[in-house]
Amino acid sequence: MTPKTAEADRTAPVRDADFTTISGRELKNVYTPDDLAPEDLGENLGLPGDYPYTRGIHPTMYRGKLWTMRQFAGMGTAEQTNQRFKFLLERGQTGLSTAFDNPTLYGWDSDHPLSAGEVGKTGVAVDSLADMERLFDSIPLDKVSTSMTINAPAAWIFTMFLANAENRGVPLEKLRGTIQNDILKEYIAQKEWIFPPEPHIRLICDMFAFCADHVPQWNTISISGYHIREAGATAAQELAFTLMDGFTYVDAAIEAGMNVDDFAPRLSFFFNSHMDFFEEIAKLRAARRIWARHMKEEYGAQNPRSWLCRFHVQTAGCSLTAQQPEVNIVRTAIEALAGVLGGCQSLHTNSMDEALALPSDKAVEIALRTQQVIAFESGVANVADPLGGSYLIERLTRELEEEAESYFAKIREMGGMVKAIERGFPQQEITRSAYEYQCALSEKRKTMVGVNEFVHENEVLEIPILEIGESVERDQIAAVKKLKETRDNVAVKDSLDALEKAARTKENLIPHLLRCSHAYATEGEITETLIKVFGEYREQAFF
Amino acid sequence: MATDTKIKVVVGKPGLDGHDRGAKVVARALVEAGMEVVYLGLRQTPESIVAAAIEEDADVIGLSVLSGAHMTHFPKVMELMKEKGIGDRLLTGGGIIPTKDQETLTAMGVGKLFGPGDDPSLIVNYIQDWVKEHRREN
Amino acid sequence: MPTLTPTLWDEFTNGDRRACARLITLVENHPDAIPDVHDQLATRLGKAIRIGITGPPGVGKSTLNALLALGLADRGHRVGLIAVDPSSPFTGGAFMGDRVRMDRLVGDDRIFMRSLASREGTGGLSPATPYVADVLEGFGMDRILIETVGVGQAELDVMACADIVVLVLQPSTGDSIQSLKAGIIEAADIIVVNKADIPGVELALQALRFALGLGKGRKDRPVPPLMPTSAQQSEGIDKLLDEIEAQAKRLVDSGRHLEMRRARIAREIRSGIERCLWEKYAARADAESGIAHAAEDLARSGGSPYPFIGDACAKINITLDRKAETNDSQDR
Ligand SMILES: Nc1nc2c(ncn2[C@@H]2O[C@H](COP(=O)(O)OP(=O)(O)OP(=O)(O)O)[C@@H](O)[C@H]2O)c(=O)[nH]1
Ligand SMILES: [Mg+2]
Repeated sequence: MTPKTAEADRTAPVRDADFTTISGRELKNVYTPDDLAPEDLGENLGLPGDYPYTRGIHPTMYRGKLWTMRQFAGMGTAEQTNQRFKFLLERGQTGLSTAFDNPTLYGWDSDHPLSAGEVGKTGVAVDSLADMERLFDSIPLDKVSTSMTINAPAAWIFTMFLANAENRGVPLEKLRGTIQNDILKEYIAQKEWIFPPEPHIRLICDMFAFCADHVPQWNTISISGYHIREAGATAAQELAFTLMDGFTYVDAAIEAGMNVDDFAPRLSFFFNSHMDFFEEIAKLRAARRIWARHMKEEYGAQNPRSWLCRFHVQTAGCSLTAQQPEVNIVRTAIEALAGVLGGCQSLHTNSMDEALALPSDKAVEIALRTQQVIAFESGVANVADPLGGSYLIERLTRELEEEAESYFAKIREMGGMVKAIERGFPQQEITRSAYEYQCALSEKRKTMVGVNEFVHENEVLEIPILEIGESVERDQIAAVKKLKETRDNVAVKDSLDALEKAARTKENLIPHLLRCSHAYATEGEITETLIKVFGEYREQAFF
Repeated sequence: MATDTKIKVVVGKPGLDGHDRGAKVVARALVEAGMEVVYLGLRQTPESIVAAAIEEDADVIGLSVLSGAHMTHFPKVMELMKEKGIGDRLLTGGGIIPTKDQETLTAMGVGKLFGPGDDPSLIVNYIQDWVKEHRREN
Repeated sequence: MPTLTPTLWDEFTNGDRRACARLITLVENHPDAIPDVHDQLATRLGKAIRIGITGPPGVGKSTLNALLALGLADRGHRVGLIAVDPSSPFTGGAFMGDRVRMDRLVGDDRIFMRSLASREGTGGLSPATPYVADVLEGFGMDRILIETVGVGQAELDVMACADIVVLVLQPSTGDSIQSLKAGIIEAADIIVVNKADIPGVELALQALRFALGLGKGRKDRPVPPLMPTSAQQSEGIDKLLDEIEAQAKRLVDSGRHLEMRRARIAREIRSGIERCLWEKYAARADAESGIAHAAEDLARSGGSPYPFIGDACAKINITLDRKAETNDSQDR
């Protein structure tokens, strides 16, 4: 083909369609070397395993070790969830991930008045060490890495986990896993908080310090963009707000007197993988590059492990449809592939029925199988960063990095992330993006198959739906009431009093929380004790 | 009659889930459609929702429940609305509501509930039609 | 046409909150019903102190208001609370988010809170606001807090229906005091600098002191006290309540409260007459089209509208005295 014909082809009429990404980014018809700056293939890129890690954190990537297949699971009682854990391990899953119910996420016991109707509904109910014992019954805590998705009360759910390990004789140094523990994105997106930001951030720093000394293999935080994206953010907003949250924790820990290399290697991240394939891959690559640069250049971290942005990826719940749920299998496969091509360390694939209910066994199994097909059949795991050097990918990676940097500058100008959150900046940005995307769907500029186009009229649902029986709540409430009668209540009171006293000082609270947990103090009792000192945060609704 | 008087909607999230993306998008769509929307925010109890709806003399209460606790919250609010004498107002909302549950709730007097993927314009139209048909003055 | 029914009135006088809410809707949606409602309410009015809370967006008016309402209730008052939010000029809809900050008031029988959209009201105050305040007073509320977003004209409008005007500012507005709309500082009876928990309060207070020193427009009233508060940390609230109550007492004792009420009634009578006259003229079949034609002719020929006005008034048996007309309009 002569260049002349090519030119004519490129000016030929195109479909009457929207060619922007799902985040509204303009795209060209074709990308060429002209779209790249010299550094895009030079200092911006490097090799997998080399700074700035655009191409991945390991030289061999998935040849060395496949990503951890980690399906988020939790519903009903501790026993029920324990069974789901075992079901997943038997089918080849390589790590566990715990979903807690709403009362647990808010720090309340199952018998709290506002817990009514919520116990065990969207995750497992954990009120005390007793539930933690049953939740991990006969699961080898020193072998299976365990992730716990919890934030506001993360510290005392974590100490319940530690107490259980200690009681079972598992040394804390052997424990591997992740606790989400990321409060800033709660204020931004998920709205599950207890105290104002300052005491929460103090608890997070306490965790960093405690784990550095006692639980060295544990990821002390999972700085999460997932929920920010689910709340309606664009890819660039997810990237920017998440990393800015990360810098805020680093600042806080340094402020609290820690050396950056003592805690930074245990920071981990959690991103969304949405439907826009290339933009998502670029976002994940940009995340690694930005984090590495700031940790090395700005914070002066010496340990290369401090530069690594290691992350978990979950496919986008908000991309799933209640209509023709089987089609969600396809969406999830595409999103999961983007996560893998973006170089994730662990991956959760959503189940097809998640827009309808908690996942059934069948749906979870298909979701896991989707990862296995990508890992073992597709061949994409054979080569590290197979898309590296693509004109489009490298260009998008740079654009996302630049957009994130310009958000950082804006947020710094506001006095940092906490200040920006107080004035509602990220919240408003996200709300606006969510509304814009909804308008694009309503006007059919963007398509969701089976929702605003290609609708299957009079559809009959053909997949099984998991139901959580009402008995779960009754049983859980009865159990927590009984616990409060049968445990050593003097020990409970002593431990809570000591906690309250320590909270009024600058002392590290984790050892005190561990003591409360050993005494079978309930989650709600600990929450209430700390509220006495720290106060409660109230909703700031921003539009 | 009275289609020129404003439709007033109280929007809130009962219970414990913090996913307010849907509630906010819908609230905005209702405002764009000319309605007056009183936003209550998160973590509302049935009591606080109904008390607010009474003071606001709202035509419609719209609740968003994504925590799976819809079979607790909707019936409680409906019951309280009847008890407090505003059972003639519309209780509607959205969430992940299986058909079977929707049927049970309809039998209790709860209006149509919307799910993920439903265009906000469906909710706007539903409310407008309902008010046109049911609004009685004072 | 919706009207005030005897049942509704009975329920209202029996303290039924639902009836109170419906009566508010009635005056809000149906100005035609206002005379009837007023006839009934009249004997119940005259005692309440109306407190306007105004200031730029986001300074913490709602958060502060919630605390003031609780504080006043604890001091033995029954409190009505009106929060006015702007209507969109494009869609006519309104988003009212003040309740998010007031959720601890819900279920408190001593307090009645209502959100109002500004609708066609100028500058953010709903035209129904004074009538809604009347309904609340008729319902037994003796302190009525009226929150308006401080955009444009609202601060000045709120004066017309409030006995005490509290202007709320925050530290960062300190350096831009000059940019506050002229007349606002003069309109205030109390100036609150909220968010005193964040840096810059001293600076803001200084700037305000300076601005007040310059103020020459306050012939008849004392210089407003400057009061720092933190609504978030419940600080300075008691002092603010003390000041509000002291001013309320002074208003009543000095007879100024009665005088303000007199002025309000006079205004109401005047606008009532205006409305009646207009309605009488508007009832004529050719009213609208006559005006339209005259306007078109005059616009083209460059003539004066006053001969037409004279003719129009003659048609409803009024002789136009031009001098009186201009005096009257200045007075307004
Ligand atoms: N730091 C601090 N923040 C406050 C204080 N009072 C209110 N806020 C915060 O300021 C923001 C706005 O508060 P609102 O009470 O809604 O302010 P408003 O003036 O009523 O706002 P509009 O009705 O939107 O004009 C919220 O985030 C409050 O939490 C305070 O004393 N200190
Ligand atoms: Mg307000």
